[in-house]
Amino acid sequence: MSRAAVSPMLVRLAAEKATGALLRDHGTLYLVDGRVVHAESPAAPGVDVLLTTGGRLPREGWDEAVDRAGAHRAVGRFLVDSGRLHDGELEICHLGAVFDAAFFALSPTSGPTRFRYGVGHWFGTVRPVSAEAVERETVRRRELLDAVWPYAAVDTSPVVPRPAAPGQTVGARQRALLAAADGERTPAELARLLGRPAFHTLLDVRRLAAAGLVETPLAPEPEPGPVPPPLSATLPVADPDIALLRRLRDALEAHL
Amino acid sequence: MANTETSLKEAATIEGAIGAALVDYTSGMALGTIGGGKELDLNMAAAGNTDVVRAKVRTMEMLGLQEDIEDILITLGTQYHLIRLLKGRGTNGLFLYLALDKNRANLAMARHQLKKIEAELDV
Repeated sequence: MSRAAVSPMLVRLAAEKATGALLRDHGTLYLVDGRVVHAESPAAPGVDVLLTTGGRLPREGWDEAVDRAGAHRAVGRFLVDSGRLHDGELEICHLGAVFDAAFFALSPTSGPTRFRYGVGHWFGTVRPVSAEAVERETVRRRELLDAVWPYAAVDTSPVVPRPAAPGQTVGARQRALLAAADGERTPAELARLLGRPAFHTLLDVRRLAAAGLVETPLAPEPEPGPVPPPLSATLPVADPDIALLRRLRDALEAHL
Repeated sequence: MANTETSLKEAATIEGAIGAALVDYTSGMALGTIGGGKELDLNMAAAGNTDVVRAKVRTMEMLGLQEDIEDILITLGTQYHLIRLLKGRGTNGLFLYLALDKNRANLAMARHQLKKIEAELDV
């Protein structure tokens, strides 16, 4: 199945093996030789938050690494070489943060997209990933969210817990999320507070909303569209879009 | 200390290995894959097996079992699929996924080797 590119500009930059920073409305991707080496988004907690909030790394340890190695763009390397983190640990945490920020940076936007050639990031290269892998994962994540609970309004609204049905249980991770949801914090704020990737938090919130444990805010009424043409007796397509049908079913069931 | 690439390479040397992936089980993303080829889409397998792990974790919580899952074995007609959960420090769990050719693999040996790879990865 061929899909429209998430960002045609990213595809082009990857093809020309560009190095620099791709600036979009919701975040920035850093490329080296056309591969993604870092990503940042105001919507996603950075590597520092992920590492320090859980207590894996003391804040001073992070600050020192930035002071000593930031100028040479080798903070990640320094964290390993100074014995603060294991190799695999750094790689996994950094990859998680990159895909998380990229998901938001590549979200649909009408704003301008710019590329600044030659700009690097102070964190340094850990494990470059192909632009194609980043795009593929971003699309997969969007589809996963909608498959779980097709109401994007829960992503940006304050998380308001609802009482559990008798006998209904949640896992430890979701329990901690519900405990931190004070009715005002949004998923992005909860992610930062708990030191978790923002996408993981969105996914948990959508799962909780689907289970009726978090309020789903009413989306604004859509503008009435043009009157659709009458349905023909047979569908004009041989292969109806399963995802669309599933979303339709979920929406109908939600209104039962 | 091993990184993800060396761990996956080591997993690929296990007798009968068809493919392996290191998977983040909250998001269902494969952080790295090796092998697989046309017969086995490891990115798809990563996402799908995330549901397997989540279902088992949920069931154990419902049963009130205060234990960790070490591994999950799925036996097919011609393959074994092994899922080994990593006991990391982070809050977001990971698992190693290994697909084996049933005719060539030694299951006990493969489980033992996967355990060793987990210990070396040390996340």
